[in-house]
Amino acid sequence: MGDDVVLVIVVATALAFDFTNGFHDTANVVATSISTRAMSPRLAVGYAAVLNFGGAFISLEVAATVAEDVVEQGAITPTVVFAGLIGAISWNLITWYYGLPSSSSHALIGGVIGSTIAAVGTGAVIADGVVGEVLVPAVVAPIVAFLIGAAAILVAYRIVGRQRPGTVVRGFRLGQIASGGLLALAHGTNDAQKTMGVITLALVANGTLAEGAGVPFWVVVSAAAAIALGTYTGGWRIIRTMGMRIHKMDAAQGFSAQGAGAAVILSSSYFGFPLSTTQVISGGVVGAGAGKRLSAVRWGVAGNIVVAWLLTLPAAAAIGAATYGVTRVFGTGAVGPVIVAAAAVALIAVAFARRARAGAPVPAG
Amino acid sequence: MTFASIVDWNALLETVIASVVAGLGIVTAFSIAIYGAARFAEGRRVGAPFEAGVAATLTVFALLVCAGAIVAGIVAMASE
Repeated sequence: MGDDVVLVIVVATALAFDFTNGFHDTANVVATSISTRAMSPRLAVGYAAVLNFGGAFISLEVAATVAEDVVEQGAITPTVVFAGLIGAISWNLITWYYGLPSSSSHALIGGVIGSTIAAVGTGAVIADGVVGEVLVPAVVAPIVAFLIGAAAILVAYRIVGRQRPGTVVRGFRLGQIASGGLLALAHGTNDAQKTMGVITLALVANGTLAEGAGVPFWVVVSAAAAIALGTYTGGWRIIRTMGMRIHKMDAAQGFSAQGAGAAVILSSSYFGFPLSTTQVISGGVVGAGAGKRLSAVRWGVAGNIVVAWLLTLPAAAAIGAATYGVTRVFGTGAVGPVIVAAAAVALIAVAFARRARAGAPVPAG
Repeated sequence: MTFASIVDWNALLETVIASVVAGLGIVTAFSIAIYGAARFAEGRRVGAPFEAGVAATLTVFALLVCAGAIVAGIVAMASE
């Protein structure tokens, strides 16, 4: 009975993480479309939410990587997964509070690694999997997106540079509806799977599923719904950073950034690399700005984003480990997760209330 | 175990190549479509139907390339 209570809490927490993932990463998908006025804010987030939902059903390759290649399945318990999720949610909300587009994926992986180390030591962490399938792609992907974004905008300007601006701007805005849609689909495919992977991990840890079992359909549907709902709710603070604070984009730059990002994310999903959509899109956005003119990019803002990236994995791991320690103070039963979950909900409510009082940006349209 | 053997460099390289080809390819094809649309509008404005027809054909062809690339990408992912 106690184990089942913990499992229910873990699944609910995983879906809450998925919601914050959508909420936090809405900016990746819609910021460029909104800032170039290709779409109104409300239409953009609604469109992204629907395609996020659809994207979650396309592939399960990344879910398998998260469930099998980061920590040893046999060594962890639902409480470990719970603590890891709290680490990830906490880091997502901290970076949202400061308007920083950090990686939800690395927060999740960091949180699970931290809680696993706190529970059973470093032996259960699959170092090869973490380095080969998470850390190296995490470095390579945003650089590739940056270079593609920079090259793509040069090519685009070269081809359309002498044409009438009206036709060109309208054309690229229309193109952004398609490229934004593709990006939303890719985001749903890549990010919803991470939650599916974690829920699967918890089900295996609880003995509900056998080791190596596939992702149950109800897990796919609920993860897709949670990320879509989070996306629709919209993290407007990060949308503002991504869409306007890095550099002021025109429609061609928006299209190039989205095209570069979608290409990298879809290719990576195909090969099963659970990379950060945030880092990829940020790379594409900065590349599309730098390709036009290096001084067009606010490098200070870009630097803050990179610092948040570097901190994400260790910070989420530290919070995950601390959460596991606090949970175990109350023993091995359901009491610890119940108390920690209640405290987390209270802290999240306080953070939202403080941010609302401080005047969060309100979307127009 | 060495660092070189931990990373699946072949898969990573294929990912990079696929990303570059798809990202640059789609932006190039769509830019050509816009170029064609602009030339089509200009051809009609100055009364040059042949040029407008060629430009329209170029636009349609470029848009088909974009649509094909998007469908191919989704199908490839779904087949995994």
